[in-house]
Amino acid sequence: MNSIFLPYKMGDLWEVKQKDPEAIILAGGTGLLVFLREKGLHPHTIVGLENLWELKQIEMQNGEIRIGAMVTHQQLLESPVIQAQLPGLHQAVTVLGYPPIRHMGTIGGNICTASPAGDTLPSLYVLNAVAELRTPTASRLLPIQDLIKGPGQNVLGRDEILYQIRIPVPSPSAVSFYFKVGQRKALAISVCSLASMLQVAEDEQTIVDCRFAWGSVGPTIMRFPGLEKNLIGEKLSLNKLREFGQTAASMVSPITDIRGSAEYRRMLVSNLPSKMLQTL
Amino acid sequence: MTGPLTPIGTSLKRTDGPSKIRGLEKYAADYYPANFLWADVKRSDHPHALIKGIDLSHVRGLPGVLAVLTHEDIKGANRIGVPEMDQPVLADQKVCYKGDPVVLVLAENKAVMQEALHKIEIDYEVLPAVFDPEDALAEGAPVLHENRSGKNLLIGGAIEHGNGMEAFQVCDAIVEAEFDLPYQEHAYLETEAGIACVDDEGVLEITASTQTPWRDRNELAYALGLPVDSIRVIAPYLGGGFGGKDGITVQGLLGLAALHSNGRPVKMWTSREESFLASTKRHPGRVHYRVGCKEDGTLHAVSCRIVLDTGAYASLGGPVLALAMEHAAGAYRIPHALVEGFCVYTNNPVSGAFRGFGAPQVLAGLEQIIDMLADKIRMDRLEFRLKNVVSRGDETGCGVWMSNSTGIIPCLEKVKEHPFWVQQEEWVNQAGPFKQRGVGIAAGLQGTGYGPMVADIANAKIELLSDGHFRIYSGVADMGQGNNPTNVQIAGEVLGQAADYFELLQPDTACSLPSGSSSASRTTYTFGNALKTAATILKERILTRACNMGLGIYAEDLLLSSGKVFHLTSGREIPLANIAASMSPEERISSYAYTAPVAKHPDSAGSAIRAAGFPHRVFAFACHLARVEIDALTGEVEVCDYLAVTDAGRVLNPQIYEQQVQGGAVQGMGYALWEDFRVENGEVLTRNLASYILPTSMDVPDILSLPVETVEETGPFGMKGLGEIVINLPLPAIANGVAWALGRHIFTSPLTAERILLTMEKRQAE
Amino acid sequence: MIIHFTLNGENKNLDCAPDCRVVDLLREELGHTGTKEACGSGECGACTILVDGISKLSCLMLAAQLEGHAVTTIEGMSKGEELHPIQKSFVEKGAVQCGFCSPGMVMATADLLQRNPSPDRKEIREALSGNLCRCTGYQKIIDAVESAAAEMRDDA
Repeated sequence: MNSIFLPYKMGDLWEVKQKDPEAIILAGGTGLLVFLREKGLHPHTIVGLENLWELKQIEMQNGEIRIGAMVTHQQLLESPVIQAQLPGLHQAVTVLGYPPIRHMGTIGGNICTASPAGDTLPSLYVLNAVAELRTPTASRLLPIQDLIKGPGQNVLGRDEILYQIRIPVPSPSAVSFYFKVGQRKALAISVCSLASMLQVAEDEQTIVDCRFAWGSVGPTIMRFPGLEKNLIGEKLSLNKLREFGQTAASMVSPITDIRGSAEYRRMLVSNLPSKMLQTL
Repeated sequence: MTGPLTPIGTSLKRTDGPSKIRGLEKYAADYYPANFLWADVKRSDHPHALIKGIDLSHVRGLPGVLAVLTHEDIKGANRIGVPEMDQPVLADQKVCYKGDPVVLVLAENKAVMQEALHKIEIDYEVLPAVFDPEDALAEGAPVLHENRSGKNLLIGGAIEHGNGMEAFQVCDAIVEAEFDLPYQEHAYLETEAGIACVDDEGVLEITASTQTPWRDRNELAYALGLPVDSIRVIAPYLGGGFGGKDGITVQGLLGLAALHSNGRPVKMWTSREESFLASTKRHPGRVHYRVGCKEDGTLHAVSCRIVLDTGAYASLGGPVLALAMEHAAGAYRIPHALVEGFCVYTNNPVSGAFRGFGAPQVLAGLEQIIDMLADKIRMDRLEFRLKNVVSRGDETGCGVWMSNSTGIIPCLEKVKEHPFWVQQEEWVNQAGPFKQRGVGIAAGLQGTGYGPMVADIANAKIELLSDGHFRIYSGVADMGQGNNPTNVQIAGEVLGQAADYFELLQPDTACSLPSGSSSASRTTYTFGNALKTAATILKERILTRACNMGLGIYAEDLLLSSGKVFHLTSGREIPLANIAASMSPEERISSYAYTAPVAKHPDSAGSAIRAAGFPHRVFAFACHLARVEIDALTGEVEVCDYLAVTDAGRVLNPQIYEQQVQGGAVQGMGYALWEDFRVENGEVLTRNLASYILPTSMDVPDILSLPVETVEETGPFGMKGLGEIVINLPLPAIANGVAWALGRHIFTSPLTAERILLTMEKRQAE
Repeated sequence: MIIHFTLNGENKNLDCAPDCRVVDLLREELGHTGTKEACGSGECGACTILVDGISKLSCLMLAAQLEGHAVTTIEGMSKGEELHPIQKSFVEKGAVQCGFCSPGMVMATADLLQRNPSPDRKEIREALSGNLCRCTGYQKIIDAVESAAAEMRDDA
C-alpha cells in the first residue's frame, strides 16, 4: 500500500476518490483486513471513513430511523432507539461477533460486504430498509435488496458510497425476532439465520402481517413474499409455522460448505420459524 | 511475601502469574533480536510428488532476500523424528503431504518474504496418493516410504489375553459398533515459534516453543550434521503445547537458517494457517469394538480393532498406537481380549502426540459400548461399571497389572452419590419445549510416564545461591500446566522456604540437566521426584554445614526456614547466605537422577507394541458425568452441567489441579462437540480459527471437579499424572448423554449440531 | 508516514509504513510484546488493546488509525510492580496458565468493567466470548473477572 487516508470531511473523501478511483473503502476493518491478508493483497490506496462524523449518527426523522453507514454494531447495541423500535436488529447485533468486533465493525461494512451470512442483513430485509447512496454530486435511494446483488457483490458505483440506512418505524404491535444458528454460541458465522416480524390481531392469534428473511441459505438474503401472504389471516400455530417452514425449505437451494451441508441448512430453514413459539 | 511452611496441599499462587499477566514474560514468539532475519518456508502444493527441479533464479537476486536454501544445503541426515527418523527438514526426493517444507528463505522483512515464496518455482512429478489408512494397507497402494519393509504400515500388532475371540461364544449379550474419530488440532494460542543464531564460539543456539529441548538437541545434531555439544536449546514458557510441540516443529528450519545467515539471528513464527497445515494433530482413527458380558453383568470378552492414520510421517504414531491398545479395555477386568492395532502412513497431514495420546480414541468407543451393553442387559450403567472395574492387584482386559494406587471405584462412587446422578430422571424430564435432555457418564484411566519404551528419567538440579536464595534448574518445559510453580512448591516444602526464596531457570541444555519431555502425564511426577530428592540432599548438606558452623550438634535439632537455619532449642539462627559462603560452589549445587518405575509384569502384547511403550505401571483414573440438552429445532447441544471426579493421587495444589481438570474437560468437550479438523484428499479444509471451531466462554459450563485422593507411593508426595486423564472422558460422557436424549448412539464424532439434527430427522422418518 | 498517538500515557511520534498493522507496530517497533497475535484475522482476541478506552483488535487495525488516539496495552495496566486489580485477581484466582491469551483477556475485561461494573457470570462469558483460551476452560477467568469487579466496586 502506498497511502491511507482518513478524511474528516466528505469533501476530502471525494477528493481522494477522484484522484484514485480504485481506492478501497475501509469501514470497520473487520472484514476488509481479513480479506486482504487472506488474498495477500496490498491495495494502492485505502480510504477510511471512521472520522466522518455525519456517517456515525442514529436519528429519527419523518417516521424513519436513519442509521449512518459508519455506525458501529456497538452503537446499535446501545442505542435506545434501536432497542425500543427495532428489537430484531438489536437482537442481531447482540449475536454478531464479540465486543471488539462490535466496537470496530459497522452496519455499512456489514451491508456492503454483502455476505449472505451478514448478521444485520436479514433484519434489514424484513424491516424494508432503504439505503441512501451518495456520490460527490448526487444521492439515490435503493431498497436494501436492490443494493445487494450476490455474495460479496453490491451495486455501488465507483465514486459512490453507502451513506445511510433508512428504516420505517414498524408498528408498535409488531414483534420481531432474530435467530442465528452458528457452529457455536459466540464468535460464529451463521449457518442459517432467520429474521422475522409478526403482527397478530387483537385476538392474539390471527396473523395480520408477517415478514421472514433467511440468511446463509442462498447467494443473498432469501425472502418469499408470496409465502408470507399465505400466512396472513391464518391463526398462529406450530403446525402453520412448520408448514410454512417446510414450504420455504423447498424453495431454497443452499450450498454445502465448511460450516454446514445443504441438507442441514434446508432443515434449519424449515425449523427456525417454529422457534418463534419457543420464544413468544 | 511469605507462604505456608508446608506448601504441599495448598493453593500456593503460581509464581509465573505476575510476569505473564503484565505482558512481560517472553515467549519464544516474543523475541526480536537486533538485526534479525525472518525465516519461512515454501511448502508442497501436492500430497505426493517427486521433486524434479527447483527454480530459484527469480528469488536469489531479490533485494532483501539473504539466503534461499534447499535440502542440498543440509550437511546432516536431513531427517528428524522420534522414534522413527523419517521426516525431512527440507524435502529432498519427494514430498509426502501437502505442506511438506521444500525451500527455506531468509529475508529482511515479511513483504519481501511473501514475494520470494511466491516466486519460487518447483517442478513436481505428481504421484498417486493415498488418503485412507485402510486403502493404504491394501495391496498395490502407493507407498510413501519405499525403504520400509512394512510398506505403509508404520506399526501393527495385537494384544491377546485369555481365549481371545472364542470367549464370545459363551457371552449372554454382545454389542458391536464401529466409531469414527476425527483429527483434533492442538490450537495452542502461540503458534510454532523460535529464534536461532550461531554464537562467536560456533554454538548454534535455539530458543523455541518446545516441549522437548533435550530430544530436539539430539535430533538437530543428527539432521543438521553437528556435534551435540555445539547445539544449545532453550525452552521458555510455552504459549500452550498439549503435545503439539512434543518434538521438532520449526527448530530444524531455524537451525538450518542460522547456519546460513552470516551470523545474524533468525526468527520464525508460523501463521495460524501454516500452523494448521504443518503441525501434528491427534490421530484420526477408526475403532471397531465388540464387547460381551454374562447375564449377571460380568464382562467376559472384548475385541477391538484400531486403525490410526499417522499421515505422511511417523511422528509419535507408534507409541500413540501402543497406548491406545493398552487402554482399549479401559479400567475393566475382562478375562478375554483381542486388541489389534494398525498405525498407517497416508498422504495426509502428520498426526502425533496430543494430550491423551491414543486413549481418547479408544475410550470414546469403549465407554459408549459399555453403555449400550448395560442397556441391553437392563442394568444400571453405573452399577455395570462398578461391577467390572479393576481394584489394585487386578489386571485389565489388556493384561495390564494394576500394581499401584487404583481409585476407579471411589471415583464411580462419588458420581453415584452426586445429585446430578441421583436426580438424573427428574432433570431429564424437566426439559422445556423443543428440548431433549440426557445424562451420560464415562469412566477410564491413563498411564503416567513413558512406559518401558525408553528410560523415563529426570535429572533435577538445585543450587543454594550466595545470597541465601535457591535456584531451581528446570529440566522440563512448562507449556502452561504449571510444573514450574509446582517445582517451587515441592522444593519449598523440602527446604522450608517461601516461594520468593526461589528463582527458576527454564530448561536450557547449557545449564539444566536432561530430563526428558514435558508430556505423558510425567512432567511433575518424574521431575518432581528428582527435584524432591535433590532438594533433600541439599537440605542435609546445609544443615550439616550449620552444625559445622556451631549452630548445633545434630542436624535434627535444626529447622530450615525462609532464608535461615534455626536451632530449635536455643532459638539461635544463621542466615543461609552465611552458610552458602562457607560452602564451595560444587557443594551448593545438588542434582539427582530419578528413573520412573515401569511394569515388570510379563505381558501379552506383541514385541512391536511392547517396544512402543506397553504397559504402564502407574495410572490415573476418572469418572465424568455430563448433563446435556439438545435443541430439537437446530440440533445444537448444550452441556448444562459437568462433573469430573479424578484420582490423580494426592493433590499438591488444589488450584493448579482444578486448572488441569477444567481446561482438560473443556478441551475434551471441543473434541466431543465442535472440533472437526477436516482434510479431504490431503487438503486441509479447516484452515484457520474461523472454520476450526474451538469452544468459547459461551459454549461451556463451569466444571465441577472432585478429587479422589489416593496416595501413589511412587509419586512425589503421593501425586500422579493428571494432565491427560481429564481429556479422555468428555467425548464418551457427552455422547452417552446425547444418546439418551436421542434414543440412539451416533458413532461419528464430533457430535455437531448438524449430525444430531440429521440423526433426529432420520429417526423420525423411521 | 508520521503518526502521533499516546501509548500507555506516553506521547509517540513515529514514522511507519501506512499498511503496518497496529499489532506489528506494538511488538516489532515498540517492543511491547505483551500484546499477542494468535490468528491474524480477528478470530481469537489475543491482540486486544484499548483505543480511547475501548477494546479493539490490533491485528485488524492499521497504524494510521491510531493518529490522535490513546492506546493502552497490557504493559500500561500495572503501575510498575503494582498490578491492576484485574491483573491481580487473574493471578490470585488461577486464571493464568500458559498465559498467551491472558493479556487480551485482561484488556477485554477492562472494557467490560467500565461498561458494566457488576456483571454476572453470563455477562462475563458474553464479554469474553471472542477471547479464545485453550488452557483454562474459562472458569477461573470468569472467577477472576467476578472478583476483580467486586474489588473495583469496593475501591470506587
